[in-house]
Amino acid sequence: MDDLFAPPDDAWQRVSPALARMRHVLVVLVAVLALVVLVVLALVLALPLGVWLSLVVVVGALAVLAWVQAGRNARRWGYAERDEDLYIRHGVMFRTLVVVPYGRMQYVDVHAGPLEQLFRIASVHLHTASPGTSARIPGLPASEAARLRDRLTSLGEAQAAGL
Amino acid sequence: MSEPERPFRRLSPLTPLVRGFILVVAVLASTWDDVLGGGNIGPLGWLLLTMLLGGAVYGFASWLRTKYWIESDELRVDTGVVSRQSRRIRVDRLQGIDISQPFVARLFGLAELKMDVAGGGSREGSLAFLPLREAEELRAALLSRRDAVRAVEAAVEAAEPGDGASPAAPPAPVPERIIATLDPRTLIVSLLLSPESFAFVFAALFFGTLFAVVGNLGGVAVVPVLIGFALAQLRRLSAYYGFTVSETPNGLYVRRGLFEKDAQTITLARVQGVVVSEPLLWRGFGWAKLDVALAGYARSADSDGRPSASTVMPVAPRPLVIGLARRLLAEAGSPDPDVVALTPPPLRARWVAPVRRHFLFSGAGDGLVVSREGMVTRRTHVVPHARVQSLQLRQGPWQRRFGLADLQVDSPPGPVRVRARHRDAREARALLQRENDVARRARAARSPGPGLTG
Repeated sequence: MDDLFAPPDDAWQRVSPALARMRHVLVVLVAVLALVVLVVLALVLALPLGVWLSLVVVVGALAVLAWVQAGRNARRWGYAERDEDLYIRHGVMFRTLVVVPYGRMQYVDVHAGPLEQLFRIASVHLHTASPGTSARIPGLPASEAARLRDRLTSLGEAQAAGL
Repeated sequence: MSEPERPFRRLSPLTPLVRGFILVVAVLASTWDDVLGGGNIGPLGWLLLTMLLGGAVYGFASWLRTKYWIESDELRVDTGVVSRQSRRIRVDRLQGIDISQPFVARLFGLAELKMDVAGGGSREGSLAFLPLREAEELRAALLSRRDAVRAVEAAVEAAEPGDGASPAAPPAPVPERIIATLDPRTLIVSLLLSPESFAFVFAALFFGTLFAVVGNLGGVAVVPVLIGFALAQLRRLSAYYGFTVSETPNGLYVRRGLFEKDAQTITLARVQGVVVSEPLLWRGFGWAKLDVALAGYARSADSDGRPSASTVMPVAPRPLVIGLARRLLAEAGSPDPDVVALTPPPLRARWVAPVRRHFLFSGAGDGLVVSREGMVTRRTHVVPHARVQSLQLRQGPWQRRFGLADLQVDSPPGPVRVRARHRDAREARALLQRENDVARRARAARSPGPGLTG
């Protein structure tokens, strides 16, 4: 079933489990925020208890769904560094497999937002001359991100193919 | 403070007038009556005249301070009245030079030289305005100088002598051979039969009946739609009028325009892919349109009614368009996109795209990846293997149920977008792997010589 998105060689290199943790934290934060809003709404609008409770249930259900989905999605990220190209796979519902030849890379970005820094992870973004290339690997441990960036950059220079 | 020891040249002294033409006309028009009338032109008139005078002084000073000359394989441009700038444009970095004549400039026989510089992506250098003859001479001089410099560099690099992409560039004059022209009749007919006309007739009928039913304004409602449509088509007409494609040692040279004249060189080494469009109503005539994607020339196709610079031929018989396409794909060995075998998605794709399935084709062949889609306007997207940036396999949940997937070929920004949609999933994955290998070999083959073997 999954052979369509199977790794090119033996196995995918996985991203850090911290990515799933970070996304779970995000889900919880948003859910808590939604609950606070609901409480405020209930106090201000004097909602009937039934309506209020069903809203809470809906928010809770959504949060659980998001929790599960965020975890599955985070675990699904995989990449494979090969001699001449990089494979990236991601997505659970909408699946994508990208192949970027090193010779096509224009530059490599490493990005770590505040929350990512808290979890000591970063994302690496490969840019080609095409804006359509969606080659991003989130949730790499900071050291691995730096290593990958350096490796990609040097490989990209060695194999640069011009436009 | 380094004064040029070389003889420099100046822009046309009419430059400030052309730049401020609108202002000049406006001021003169608004104050002329008063001047003739009683000499009393009022405070506003004085203000405008002062502005005009100030503008004229500034314009003159700017003209005086703007100098350009060619020195040690660089085009140097000094500008600036208050703070001075000195720009250097390396000749070997020039990708192309376009000559454009905005309407006012054309009235005075002037032209603007736009230099396209590698790496920048945007137009970095522009010289406005020069007498047309001078602009053409400068353009030819810069281009031949560039080719000479590049030839020397290639010789120094000395790997293999064949800079195969462009057939040995002779430095001296620029011989020009016209290979395609567009006659006005074809252009007008093609505009009347374009998809926009289709849309217009529908809109007119829809709003016409709507208003006829609701009120008695049937005719009136159509007017704004008609005006919008007419304006868009007139804009195209004036932009594409006199379209001429000619062959030069530097690539294809495209000239066009009725009021505003534009000229543009398409350097073959920058071609990333082509699109052949065939609107429904043109197919009876066997007509097609050709667009090209160029590196660093991020302009999209003619979509929102704006004529686009990516167009290589607005309308022509299909064989001619294919011929031009093959010329543009010279780097891939001038393959014929029509020879690439295109196959439709499997039958079960009807559950995902019941109607569109019949209009989706894709295939990879000698030197090219090709996909075709579109019901009303059939578009054939073509990318040489050597120009593939990256590849993507995509699958949504609904596609997964039927074992289908999309394969997308990423290209630099432009009109070209090859996508093999709703293919059998295994086939798509195999295609991804194969295309990746073929593209790698094609890239590798490009450096020593022309990648003739696909």
